Amino acid sequence: MFHVSFRYIFGIPPLILVLLPVTSSDCDIEGKDGREYQHVLMISINDLDTMIKNRTNCPNNEPKVFKKHACDDNKEGVFLYRAARKLKQFVKVNNSEDFNLHLSRVSQGTLQLLNCTPKEDNKSVKEQRKQKSLCSLGILLQKIKTCWNKILRGSKEH
Amino acid sequence: MLQITQDLIWTPGWNGVGELATCSVIFGALLNVKCLTFDKLQEMYFIKTKKFLLIGDSEIHVKLGGKNITSKKLNIVEIVKPEAPFDIRVIYRKGANDFLVTFNTSHSQKKYVKELMHEVAYRQEKNENDWMHVNLSSTKLTLLQRKLQPDAMYEIKVRSIPNANYFQGFWSEWSPTFHFRTPEITGRMDPVLLTISILSFFSVALMVILACALWKKRIKPIVWPSLPDHKKTLEQLCKKPKKNLNVSFNPESFLDCQIHKVDGIQARDEAESFLQDTSSQLDESEKRRLGGGMQGPTWPSEHAAITPKAFREDLPFGCLAGSISMCEALVQSSSRSPDCREGGKNGPHVYQGLLLGPGTTNSTVPTPSPFQSGILTLSPTAQGQPVLTSLGSSQEEAYVTMSSFYQNQ
Repeated sequence: MFHVSFRYIFGIPPLILVLLPVTSSDCDIEGKDGREYQHVLMISINDLDTMIKNRTNCPNNEPKVFKKHACDDNKEGVFLYRAARKLKQFVKVNNSEDFNLHLSRVSQGTLQLLNCTPKEDNKSVKEQRKQKSLCSLGILLQKIKTCWNKILRGSKEH
Repeated sequence: MLQITQDLIWTPGWNGVGELATCSVIFGALLNVKCLTFDKLQEMYFIKTKKFLLIGDSEIHVKLGGKNITSKKLNIVEIVKPEAPFDIRVIYRKGANDFLVTFNTSHSQKKYVKELMHEVAYRQEKNENDWMHVNLSSTKLTLLQRKLQPDAMYEIKVRSIPNANYFQGFWSEWSPTFHFRTPEITGRMDPVLLTISILSFFSVALMVILACALWKKRIKPIVWPSLPDHKKTLEQLCKKPKKNLNVSFNPESFLDCQIHKVDGIQARDEAESFLQDTSSQLDESEKRRLGGGMQGPTWPSEHAAITPKAFREDLPFGCLAGSISMCEALVQSSSRSPDCREGGKNGPHVYQGLLLGPGTTNSTVPTPSPFQSGILTLSPTAQGQPVLTSLGSSQEEAYVTMSSFYQNQ
């Protein structure tokens, strides 16, 4: 009898832990009408793109950045949340003030519009170190832009 | 009221009486910082920074001596006051007869508050407080010349407000006023236009006069043709054999001719002898008339019915017994015409063709003439006999002539 209880104690909880992400709740997106994105976030993203292109020549092959995460259906909020938090890592001292401000605006503005559960907060903290090159930043920004467009298209259809 | 462009200005609501807050702080909706402190400038507190997030609400706290006096929650994007437009100009376009108003705004170069609604106000300088307002989203406006007073001085100004898609707020200050004068309307017309207008006026007047003058004679018969008069139509239908032939249904034209009663038809023998002896003076009309009812070659033989009494006295009758050629010769000898005038000579011939009895000639009997209105029943025998018999038997019959028809009317 005792050995049977051990199986249940040490076997099932890990199973539950593994299965939990499937049932995890999504982030709520507040700016679905697109006003904040079109009048504030998109402007900053475009300015950052311009500044990155002026400073570096990125290769055509896409660097591996944020590969694990994608703007899947019903997972857009989570993706944006993680992407916005990752943007903060690109804020550096040697960047210009405008560059840093735009980065902060996109990051903080996106987070302001998302209402995510604490579980997501805890999980994102554990993200590992990522590449911090400007080209990867540019790709990340494009992914954020694409995901926002997807969200807005979906909200228009509804 | 808070004004924001790239800076944030905090104006206290109590007109700044007494000691104002020593510190005013804004929390929230800031980038990379938790709060910012206002700077004091005379009666105003202001912040000039780029660290506005522009998303979400902020809180402003007014502190006095470290204590929090009041606070206000607001969204910065809802209290935007744009910068005033500038460089307003008015250009008169003669070809289009309008005024083109253009102005400039610094917000066309800005990143966030780009879309504005503008208000243009203009008035005549002498009319106080009589401003006309026009709203537009672009920086160009057209004013029509006909809607403005000519030769007048106008002033114009413009202001802006966020167009409320995302950014909202207050009207900006008015731009500096621009003055312009509308051109006066010249009395002198274009000479070409003047010439054309005069020519067209005169041509129209001429056409009206011609229409009035020629209405009855020319225009009305075509537009409203009158029904033909049967008497006139008949006169026109009658063909004149000679110029001298007077064709008319009016008996008064035969007054010159002597009309004799026909007493009767002489015996045939007497007529024959008479015809052989004398030659008649026959007109073409008589010949024609005779020929109308009969065949030409048979004409001489039918002369036997001519009243020899009428022709015996004067007229040569050589042709009556002879051939047609002789008759033609006689016809041509118009010198032996009777007393009837030339024009009236034809009358009795025609008359004779129509006479059926002697009765009606009593009213118009002139002096006897050799050319009596004898009855020339020179129709073929088959046709003539009924006429002869009627002549012989009905002396009392009234003459039925076309003139009688005319008179009866």
